[in-house]
Amino acid sequence: MKLELGKILIQDVQFGAKTEVVDRTLFVNKEEIIELVLEDDRLIGADVELARPGESVRIAPVKDVIEPRVKVTGGGVLFPGMINKVEQVGSGRTHALVGATVITCGRIVGFQEGLIDMSGPAAKYCPFSETNNVVLVIEPADNLETHDYETAGRLAGLKVAAYIGEAGKNIEPDEVVVYETKPLLEQALQYPDLPKIGYVHMLQSQGLLHDTYYYGVDAKQLVPTFMYPTEIMDGAIVSGNCVAPCDKVTTFHHLNNPIIEDLFARHGKDLNFMGVVLTNENVFLADKDRSSDMTAKLCEFFGFEGVIISEEGYGNPDTDLMMNCQKVSQKGIKVVLITDEFPGRDGKSQSLADTVDEADALVSCGNGNVIINFPPMEKVIGTLDFVETMIGGYEGSLKPDGSIEAELQIVIASTIANGYNKLAARGH
Amino acid sequence: MNKLIVTNNSLVFEKYCNHCGVIYLKDAGYLDVLYAVRDRIHQSYVLLTHPLAGSLKPNQTPYKSIIITRGEAGVDTDSVVLIENSIAAAQKFLRDRNTPSWSEKILGDFRTVDLSLIENAMQKRSFN
Repeated sequence: MKLELGKILIQDVQFGAKTEVVDRTLFVNKEEIIELVLEDDRLIGADVELARPGESVRIAPVKDVIEPRVKVTGGGVLFPGMINKVEQVGSGRTHALVGATVITCGRIVGFQEGLIDMSGPAAKYCPFSETNNVVLVIEPADNLETHDYETAGRLAGLKVAAYIGEAGKNIEPDEVVVYETKPLLEQALQYPDLPKIGYVHMLQSQGLLHDTYYYGVDAKQLVPTFMYPTEIMDGAIVSGNCVAPCDKVTTFHHLNNPIIEDLFARHGKDLNFMGVVLTNENVFLADKDRSSDMTAKLCEFFGFEGVIISEEGYGNPDTDLMMNCQKVSQKGIKVVLITDEFPGRDGKSQSLADTVDEADALVSCGNGNVIINFPPMEKVIGTLDFVETMIGGYEGSLKPDGSIEAELQIVIASTIANGYNKLAARGH
Repeated sequence: MNKLIVTNNSLVFEKYCNHCGVIYLKDAGYLDVLYAVRDRIHQSYVLLTHPLAGSLKPNQTPYKSIIITRGEAGVDTDSVVLIENSIAAAQKFLRDRNTPSWSEKILGDFRTVDLSLIENAMQKRSFN
């Protein structure tokens, strides 16, 4: 499967009469976006705000972040099974508005949503302080049931990202990157002397606000399966607005999975990137047994010699991470884990809720318990009403002048466990 | 398999009290639920769901529901290790900061999410 990803660099975002890209500026038609969102009668209010790098702006509570993209050729459409019909994606050509995002924001079950600061000391912890953001502030119908509101918010973000992505369809990209994974036997033969490496991608799948969707299928219902890496770049995987802000894998992070990106960058050089095994993080222990057995079986069957495993979330998923690590290792496959850490404020407690002897190679994406201070911002998009109830916030977090003291885990993607953050250690 | 739910969440109690055994620990804390489960594990019960299910931190949500079942005679060591690790993880968070006194609206949200985690587990027809 081969995908050409055309990257259209966006350096500014403005409101305009027409949603279009002109000389690296994204113009968006506010009224058309609001109209699109309010097609869903579960939402009774919507507003659009813009947030650019360096501005004195705080966005909260953030639900999902999505990069606008569009399928140009190759069959299928963006976010199959979610806002479009189910059809195979991952081949042909896709255009991405790189440097632009759609952020959904607004009241919800408040605690798992986080903050984005566009400037100041907290901005450096968040990749979205450097993007030009179209922020969608949504308001639910009275007494809308929580699950329905979560669904409506998720779909609104996806629809708006797909709508804005259309503006890139006929633009000549600044850069075109080609990614290709051949069918298994051909891929093994292409670089016979290089180690065959796979990626085990664990999808959050515990329940409300802890879900992920693959071609529209709730990941709870999956048994581990194989995915060509390029499918994810067309939105085959969508976030269910999950878990703590700091390690929430937003839809943006699925579209731009840095593990897949880096494995492709070394593909044919010092490794042979064979593909992705998808698995889940269910609450039922029998599901964990079944999924980790099948993950190890698939890794063995595909002939992987080394595997990277990433997780989403803390606690329950740590057990899946360790079961996968142990069972894949027992197949004679080398394993590297990627995760973030919660060792307590003093850093002295266990970082993960579970461990096994086989977990002897682990990349840390940072400590979510560290306390940081956020100065007041001139403008708040959304509301600060929920700051003290967000994960990382606490009673007294929000000061009268609008400044905040909270744990790092309140910042969106600050310790995300796939490395798309600023705290990853880098060798020089 | 006879499931037994140990919970301090009234929504879980109300929904399942007529379907299976429910030990409802009204007004108990998050850790109290883990301790109650630990005690039963030492009386031959086996964990069916992960004690830290839901990635809300133990000093954020006050609610916890765990499904267990009676196992064979003796103590299931896997369950012992998992519940002890979970208790240690919960104590770590609660040592740094206690669960705040949330408003009723927020408590309702936490109950809803906790129920959702259990609903997904209860929908399973086969547990082995």
